[in-house]
Amino acid sequence: MASGSARRAGARLTNLLYGSINSSTPATAASWTQTGLAAGELAPFGARMASNQIVRNRMKSVKSIQKITKAMKMVAASKLRGIQGKTEDSRGLWQPFTALLGDAPGVDVKKKVILTLSSDKGLCGGINSTSVKFSKALMRLTAASGPDKEASYIVIGEKGKAQLQRDSRKNIKMFITETQKLPINFSLASTLTDEILRTVQFDAIHLVFNKFQTVVSYLPTVATILSPETMANGVETGKMSDLSNYEIEGSETQAEVLQNLSEFQFASVLYNAMLENACSEMGARMSAMDNSAKNASDMLDRLTLSYNRSRQAQITTELIEIISGAAALEAS
Amino acid sequence: MLNLRIMAPNRIVWNSDIQEIILSTNSGQIGILPNHASVLTALDIGIVKIRLNDQWSTMALMGGFAMIDNNNLTILVNDAEKASEIDYQEAQETFQKAKTNLEEAEGNKKKEIEALLVFKRAKARLEAINMASKL
Repeated sequence: MASGSARRAGARLTNLLYGSINSSTPATAASWTQTGLAAGELAPFGARMASNQIVRNRMKSVKSIQKITKAMKMVAASKLRGIQGKTEDSRGLWQPFTALLGDAPGVDVKKKVILTLSSDKGLCGGINSTSVKFSKALMRLTAASGPDKEASYIVIGEKGKAQLQRDSRKNIKMFITETQKLPINFSLASTLTDEILRTVQFDAIHLVFNKFQTVVSYLPTVATILSPETMANGVETGKMSDLSNYEIEGSETQAEVLQNLSEFQFASVLYNAMLENACSEMGARMSAMDNSAKNASDMLDRLTLSYNRSRQAQITTELIEIISGAAALEAS
Repeated sequence: MLNLRIMAPNRIVWNSDIQEIILSTNSGQIGILPNHASVLTALDIGIVKIRLNDQWSTMALMGGFAMIDNNNLTILVNDAEKASEIDYQEAQETFQKAKTNLEEAEGNKKKEIEALLVFKRAKARLEAINMASKL
C-alpha cells in the first residue's frame, strides 16, 4: 500500500545516508554531498526531488565545461598553425652555429646557468613539469661534478617560476614573466639576450626547452651556449678544431669577433627555443583540452543516465501512490 | 662556383650557387672567389654584391656573420633586403628622417646609439638601390 511503499522508500533513503557514501554511482553520491549534509544526517523527506534538480544543474555545468574546453582546443590549434611556420624557418639560423662550434652539453666549466623556458598560462599538459624536471636534474649533475662548480637558474615563464621557487628559491638569479603577451620575434630574443648578458655572469648556459615534433609529441631539449671566453679557450686548446680552421677577420681583435658571435648565437638559439616551446605548449594544450572535452562528454552520458533513471523512478512512485490511493477509495 | 646561403631569423634569403661575392665587414670590403681560404668574419650594416650569371645584384644586410669554408658560404644576418624590393622614394625619405634624427639625438647617449643604428640601416638601403641602378 501507499504507506508500505513510502516506508520502503524511506528505508532506501536512510541506507544511502547512513551507509557508505561512495557505494552508489558518483553522480548520486555527489548529489548527496552537495545537499550540504554530513555523513549520518537525515535529509528532509522530499530529498529525491532535490537530487533531480542537483543532477540537472551538474549536467548544465558539465556541458558548459565541455564547450569551453572544445573552444580552447580550437584556439590552441589556430595559434599553433600560426607559429609552426615561423618555428621551422628559425631552425635554419642556429644550425650553422652548431655545425661550426659544436654542442657541448657536458662542457666542464665553473659557472653554469640553466635557462628554463616555460609557459605563463596553465592547462597545457606536462611540458612545464618536464622542463623543470630536466632543469633540476642538470643542477644536481653540476653540483655532483665538483666542489667548485656552481649553477644558477634563470626562469622564463610564470609556471616554471612557480615550480622552481618552491624548493630552489635562492638559486634563481632572475626570472622573466609575461612574455607570452608579446609576439615572438628576433628583436624580443635579442632584447632578452642583452638583459641576461648584462645581469648574469656565466661560462656556459644551458637552455632547457621542449622541441616541437608533432602535435602530440614534443622532445625535451638542452642547448648549450658557451661564453666568449670559453670559446676563446676552446680555440686555443684545440678542442674546437673546426673554429680554429677559420681565419677570423672583421674586427680589431679576435676576442671582439668571438663575443659578437657568441651573442648572436645566443639570440638565435633563444629565438628558436622560444618558438619551439610555444609550439609544444600549443600542441600539449590541444591534447589536454581534447581529453578534457572527451571526459566531460563521458561524464555527461553517465549523469544523463542516472538522471533519467531517478526521474522514471519518481514518476513510477507517483503513479503507484495515485493507483493505490484510487484502489483504496474504490475498496471502501 | 660558391654555394651561398643567406639566412635571417625568420626566413632564408638566398640559397643557390654564385660566382663571386663582395662583403662589407667592419674592417673594409672583402671579395670572395671560389677556393677562398676559410674565414669567419663579422659583417657591418652595409651592402653585399653578388655576381650570378655575370650579373651583379645588390642586397642590404643589417649586420651579422659570414663563414666561408670549402666553397660553402653561410651568411647569418639580423635582416636582409634585396635592392629590387626597395622603393627608391621610400628609401630616400627614410634616410633623410634618420639623418635628422641622428643630428637631433646628439648629447643623449642612448638615443644617439639607437639613431645611429637606424641611420646606418637607412643608409645601407639607399646605397643598395643606388648601386643597383648604376650596374
